Amino acid sequence: MESTKSVMEPVAWIFQMLTGLVMILLVTLHFYVTHMTSHEALKYAEVASRVAQPEFKALYAALLLVVSFHAFNGLRAILLDTTAGMRKKGAVSALTMLAFLLAFIYGLYLLFSI
Amino acid sequence: MVRFKIRRYDGKKSYWQSFEVPARRGMTVLEALYYIKENYDSSLAFRASCRMGICGSCAMKINDKPRLACETQVLTLGNTVKVEPLDNFKVIKDLITEFDGFFEKHKAVKPYLIRKDDNYAEPKELLQSPEELNEYYVFTLCIKCGACYSVCPAAATLDECLGPAAMTAAYRFCADSRDEGQKERYEIASSSNGVWRCHLAMECSEVCPKNVEPAKAVQLLRRKTAFSILKSLLRW
Repeated sequence: MESTKSVMEPVAWIFQMLTGLVMILLVTLHFYVTHMTSHEALKYAEVASRVAQPEFKALYAALLLVVSFHAFNGLRAILLDTTAGMRKKGAVSALTMLAFLLAFIYGLYLLFSI
Repeated sequence: MVRFKIRRYDGKKSYWQSFEVPARRGMTVLEALYYIKENYDSSLAFRASCRMGICGSCAMKINDKPRLACETQVLTLGNTVKVEPLDNFKVIKDLITEFDGFFEKHKAVKPYLIRKDDNYAEPKELLQSPEELNEYYVFTLCIKCGACYSVCPAAATLDECLGPAAMTAAYRFCADSRDEGQKERYEIASSSNGVWRCHLAMECSEVCPKNVEPAKAVQLLRRKTAFSILKSLLRW
């Protein structure tokens, strides 16, 4: 029976919960801005001008961070739920965290290149 | 007459076999299995011991739900009763499953009081208030029947997953005011095969014949384990 203490698991679990909670706030705000403020809110020009504002840039950067972490950490947990995934535990954790970083960095690049 | 459809396994192949049983009021599935064994097929294999819901030996899947055969009355199940071995366990013969791995996992969480002042030469009384007892009492009722493990989705996909029963036992002792082995058990529970694999499907609590609520124990253990590891990381 494997019984080695894992430090990554509790930290990942706590961050999964925290990012989930932050997502509730940020996604609600995102939907409010895009669907409740004006009928034109989803037009390209509107989106471009909104995203150009520093406060929205910060909001979307934060949303990108929590969503990409939550998604790839969730994927990591799903893969580790299988015997095959658990056999390659280190590789699964490394690849999913790398995918999270790549998604976040690429998203930031797109966000700040507008 | 009630038709019993039993999933048999002879070590090589698995097949269904039906038997007609004259059911009477109050008759349990276990009694019906004994009736089949005594009157139709003496090779039918199943585990049973206490016949009163205490030992947990006769847990099996009855009409698609894990139950204790000794506590399930035939007439509450309709005209056809489907009996199968528990899921997530290797079948040895007919309704008998391999429990070695399950008990290994149970042993792995150190399900006993750990004390720094263990002195068998001069044993001392360990006092506990009713409130302290209530903190963990419900979790002491586990009879290790394996019903929770058989429905756990994490145990279904991951062979080494500790499973609800072992984690409930771990929490039962961690929550005991007389115990001093929490740190050891948190380390075991925090392994990759431990509490992190639970996705709160809550099926374990749904099927537990003793209403132990393993899902609750796992969540409480997860919270305690996470904070214990964080505390040790932050040297708090």
